[in-house]
Amino acid sequence: MKLKKLLEQVGDFLDADSKTQAKEIKSIRKVLKELKKKEHKLKAELKGLPKAEEEARDELQIKLDVIYAQRKKGLDRVRELKQSRKEKDD
Amino acid sequence: MLRRLFLPLVLLVLAYALWASADFMEIAAGVALFMFGMLCLEEGFKTFTGGTLESLLRKSTDRLWKSLSFGVVSTTAMQSSSLVSLITVSFVSAEMITLAAGIGIIMGANIGTTTGAWLIAGLGLKVDIAAYAMPGLIFGMLLIMQKSKTLKGFGNLLLGFAFLFLGIHYMKEGFDAFQGNFDLSAYALPGLMGLLVYTLVGMLITVIMQSSHASLLIIITALSAGQVTYENALALAIGANLGSTITIILGALASNLGGKRLAASHVLFNVLTAAVAIVFIGQIAWLVDQGGFLLGIREDDYLLKLALFHTLFNVMGVLLLAPFVQPLSRLLIARITFQKQSAETPLYLYPEALETPETAVNAVRKEVRHLFDNAFGLLAHGVSMKRSVVKSEESLSEAVKYTRKIFPVDVDDVYEDKIKSLHSDIVDFIAKAQAEESTQKATEELYVLRQASRKLVEAVKGMKHLHKNLSRYGLSTNPAVRERYDLIRLQLARLLRDLHRLLEADSNDVTTLSLDALRVSLEKSSRQLIDELDEMIRHRRLVARVATSIMNDESYVSDISTNLIDAVHTLLLPQLDDDSSSLTLDKQEISQLVDEGAEKTGA
Repeated sequence: MKLKKLLEQVGDFLDADSKTQAKEIKSIRKVLKELKKKEHKLKAELKGLPKAEEEARDELQIKLDVIYAQRKKGLDRVRELKQSRKEKDD
Repeated sequence: MLRRLFLPLVLLVLAYALWASADFMEIAAGVALFMFGMLCLEEGFKTFTGGTLESLLRKSTDRLWKSLSFGVVSTTAMQSSSLVSLITVSFVSAEMITLAAGIGIIMGANIGTTTGAWLIAGLGLKVDIAAYAMPGLIFGMLLIMQKSKTLKGFGNLLLGFAFLFLGIHYMKEGFDAFQGNFDLSAYALPGLMGLLVYTLVGMLITVIMQSSHASLLIIITALSAGQVTYENALALAIGANLGSTITIILGALASNLGGKRLAASHVLFNVLTAAVAIVFIGQIAWLVDQGGFLLGIREDDYLLKLALFHTLFNVMGVLLLAPFVQPLSRLLIARITFQKQSAETPLYLYPEALETPETAVNAVRKEVRHLFDNAFGLLAHGVSMKRSVVKSEESLSEAVKYTRKIFPVDVDDVYEDKIKSLHSDIVDFIAKAQAEESTQKATEELYVLRQASRKLVEAVKGMKHLHKNLSRYGLSTNPAVRERYDLIRLQLARLLRDLHRLLEADSNDVTTLSLDALRVSLEKSSRQLIDELDEMIRHRRLVARVATSIMNDESYVSDISTNLIDAVHTLLLPQLDDDSSSLTLDKQEISQLVDEGAEKTGA
């Protein structure tokens, strides 16, 4: 029993990196979800704005572009982390 | 003069008393050992306040019953209501817990502190407690010599308990011997007079020793030796409770509003409890008799009965006042407010905040936010806008367009008064916090906050230069020049409004990421302004001298904005998930986005 527990602890220690990566993937996904929600909200706002309000539309467009870039960055990071985990498993 | 003479005089009288009476020396040594034990316990518990106590405190204070229980349990464990009170003051001061939660903890601590009386009366005087102290001293000393902080902490706790036990032992011995030579019970006073006089004596003893625990020890041992009557001992216990407010009052003197309000609530609570106990002393004594009978306490066991009385009247005080915690907290917030003082005085940097690394970080964070508010006001006035207009929903373009005068702000003066002095206080406080024992996380956070404070100072320095040209050209009769300066003012006012909104909003993981949009917007406007200036110079619509002034000013605006965004980024950080910061765009990505935007619009 004691040996089993010791082996489990050694396994956890060696697996620490992969656990950190899994945690990072999870938290990035959470942020991505919130960004997606914000993107929808901003798109709806933009749709509701009259064409004449060019300045406000520009501001919203900037916010949307930034969210798009951040989401892309996040997705790339998740892909990279998944790839690295896969390589370790192989 | 009198103050300077006080300590030598006390020392002299004490020395004479120690020389004159060997019994008194034993009692005094007992009190000294007991108090030293409490110091060791405080020191030991402080070792474990690197995060665990703080997070526990916050989680356990969101309901009144939770904060009450927390007060009871923590004071029982630490055997020091002073430590719990002081930590609570520092937490309320740093606004990490609400005033109502703080009041709950203090009430709980009042009940928790009564366990000390049970310990002394039930165990201390009946068992040879000094025998338990010896192993504590040996193991405690061994642990204290270790390098590990945790082991040192345990060592202090063991030593603390050992000295408490030794103190109780010496006090008991001293009073037993004292009994043979001198009879204090001859001074017993019956009736209301006795009640009031002994309440006052109990209060004085506690004020002098700053520990209700030590006073109770004296009261219980004196009672066990027959030096005071049971009735007078009850009055002494009420007095000890009243006197215990002195620690929190002293702690709050150097504290901010939160601490002062908490101290006021403590005084109010203890005075009311004491008043009720004095008025209903007969009924409470009857209750003690009944309770003692139920608990199996002997009729003549006055020590345990005193402990029961102490617990009962504190519990009664809590029961009476618990329903009024919220109204009391509202009343104190409304009544105890700031004296009119200049805004540059630090609002959160008090010595109590240095108590734990987390409270220090929180206090600095709040103070940097205070500095941001000062910088916000100065910058808003710098672009000739009222602070209220920038914070409102009013159209900023209209406000800029219809500006009739540039505000005559003495930026240098305001900078010295409201920015530089506060920044110096922050830097000084951080240095003090770093000199204390700290965690790595707290040290890093303090470093980042100092940078944020510096960036706010830099932002204001930028306004010093900008304001000179704004005063000169801001309302220029040349429409081209006025238009450029209007744009500069509008850009800064918009940024201030956006940053204010971000700081006021309910933050989530993506709040800090919104700052990237401000950065992109800033770079886009900056490029646009420069392009337009080039065009104007080419077409001779602007003289080169004025154009270069505008270019310089654009650069100041850019610096001011970047510094403000960076500072707000730090202020928003506690709400940010660590991993989401990896999604923040870097300089290159921001430039790329601006390029793409320009391509889309065909600029």
